[in-house]
Amino acid sequence: MSRYKSIKEIRLEESYLVVGWNKDTGKISQKVVEFLNNAFSSEMIGELEQKGFFSFSGVSVEDDIAQFPFSNFYYIRDKNLILFLSDQPDYKPYEFLNLVLDVSEKYFSVKEIYTVNGLISLSPHTSVRKIYTVFNDRDFLDRLRGYDIELLTWEGTPAISSYLLWLAKERCIPGMSLWTGIPFYLAPIEDYESLKVTIEFFDKRFNLNLKFDSLNELIIKQNEKIRWLRDTDEEINDYITQIENGQELDEERQLKLIKDVYEIFRGRVAL
Amino acid sequence: MGIRLYKNVDLKEPFFIVGWPGIGNVGLIAVDTLRKMLNAEFFGEVEGYEFFNPRKVKIKDGLLLNLEFPSNKLYYSKRGESDFLFFVGEEQPKRGVTSKYAEGEEAYNMANLVIDIAERFKCKHIFTSGAAVSYIHHTMLSKVWAVPNDDSLLPEVKKYPDVVLMSEIEGRGGQGFISGLNGLLIGVAKKRGFKATCFMGEVPIYLQGLQVPYPKASRAVLRVFNSMFNLDLDLTNFDNIVLEAEDKINEVYEEIPLEIREQLEKLKEFDYIKRSELQPLTDENRKRFWDEISEFLKKGGSKSDESL
Repeated sequence: MSRYKSIKEIRLEESYLVVGWNKDTGKISQKVVEFLNNAFSSEMIGELEQKGFFSFSGVSVEDDIAQFPFSNFYYIRDKNLILFLSDQPDYKPYEFLNLVLDVSEKYFSVKEIYTVNGLISLSPHTSVRKIYTVFNDRDFLDRLRGYDIELLTWEGTPAISSYLLWLAKERCIPGMSLWTGIPFYLAPIEDYESLKVTIEFFDKRFNLNLKFDSLNELIIKQNEKIRWLRDTDEEINDYITQIENGQELDEERQLKLIKDVYEIFRGRVAL
Repeated sequence: MGIRLYKNVDLKEPFFIVGWPGIGNVGLIAVDTLRKMLNAEFFGEVEGYEFFNPRKVKIKDGLLLNLEFPSNKLYYSKRGESDFLFFVGEEQPKRGVTSKYAEGEEAYNMANLVIDIAERFKCKHIFTSGAAVSYIHHTMLSKVWAVPNDDSLLPEVKKYPDVVLMSEIEGRGGQGFISGLNGLLIGVAKKRGFKATCFMGEVPIYLQGLQVPYPKASRAVLRVFNSMFNLDLDLTNFDNIVLEAEDKINEVYEEIPLEIREQLEKLKEFDYIKRSELQPLTDENRKRFWDEISEFLKKGGSKSDESL
């Protein structure tokens, strides 16, 4: 446990852990944690040491800003919620994830684990966002059936969230992964609609009584920008219409749509 | 992390034969084929959690059913007066996603774990097998480069068919490097007092980047094991596999542009074992045609990177 640096000594008798991975699809993890941190003025209570888990071959630059890997724990005092936001480790994921679980058990007595992830969707931005879910425990799944979630069936390469759920299962900690669908052309930026449905899930689950006014404004602005793009670019409008009609775009058209939407949202095209 | 044994097995100073994937899967195919031919029985495994990332997840109706890791299985066989222990690893532990071979702490720990097994069963000799990338043509016979971890073993390994030492390879002066666990294991074995030898079947240099098996080299290694352990194995079926693989390589070979193929044909005349006057490949030429060949042969292998 020497690789956990405690900033505030906090020992809880029961808590819930929400895990997000920095730079995931649509930045949904990062945004969920940011939203909850802001809503509750949460405090950073500790971090994992990066040495041994990250390559340190240089730094990545995002939106002109140099980044550095981090693995931080935050605490929302009134709600017994622990948030963990981290870059995915380059090395030793088994050791890293076990360290997350060790800290969660020892200091916070975590009772349930929730991971937040974005899932690229071929659905248009005008459709209702769905949350696809994976559980590591059948009883836990049954208890959450009443929520507006889809149950995923899939075989393939595991993401780090599935790996975490698996290790949590070995410790008998119930866990679920939320994979919120994000229209593929919003995945490189953000999708506030996806963010909202994800936060709504946590709002309902933990009785958070959150206010969504600011998020609703962002959703309106997001839709306005895409509306403007559709109105001014017939080709793009045609692509989105095709998606709305359930048709699949070829790779070239998909890339053009992604690029044009990206440029609008990054302010490279004046509205 | 640990060794799980599912059955108590009493072995008398077994030969320990270890195989991992690598170039052309030469070592893995040789070791696994020998294991099958000796009807070796599965009896244990090394847990892979600390060494590998899970490679497959199964999710059904929202429930995480299983997470699969590359296997590291142990088998044993008693044949005549000799006992055999096999370790067959599906993957070499890699550091991060970019490294090609096992390296670093994970590789060292894995090598030590395998030597722990050797210690537990009092193995008298450890063998690994891999590929030796050589200036040979694919229609030529693959020789076997042998590297023991102790000079007392040199006279022994020299006795076997088509075995060469690094000192016999032109320009090497007995020097070289064995990448990955096949090499590291015999080094760790040396440190811990075990005799060990690595047998490497030759793979043509221009095929090293092509991710397909090269059973001809495995066949050469099998021939060495057959002779060394007096096994009298019938390799006829395996010869058919070698021929099939060669037919496929020939098909690809025929599609290589003539200019490059002419260069490759010179490998048939290039005897790197005896000193030769013939110098068909300058360093610059080697690099150029290797780059061209690699580019040509690698065409089309796109892979999905989806994960959940």
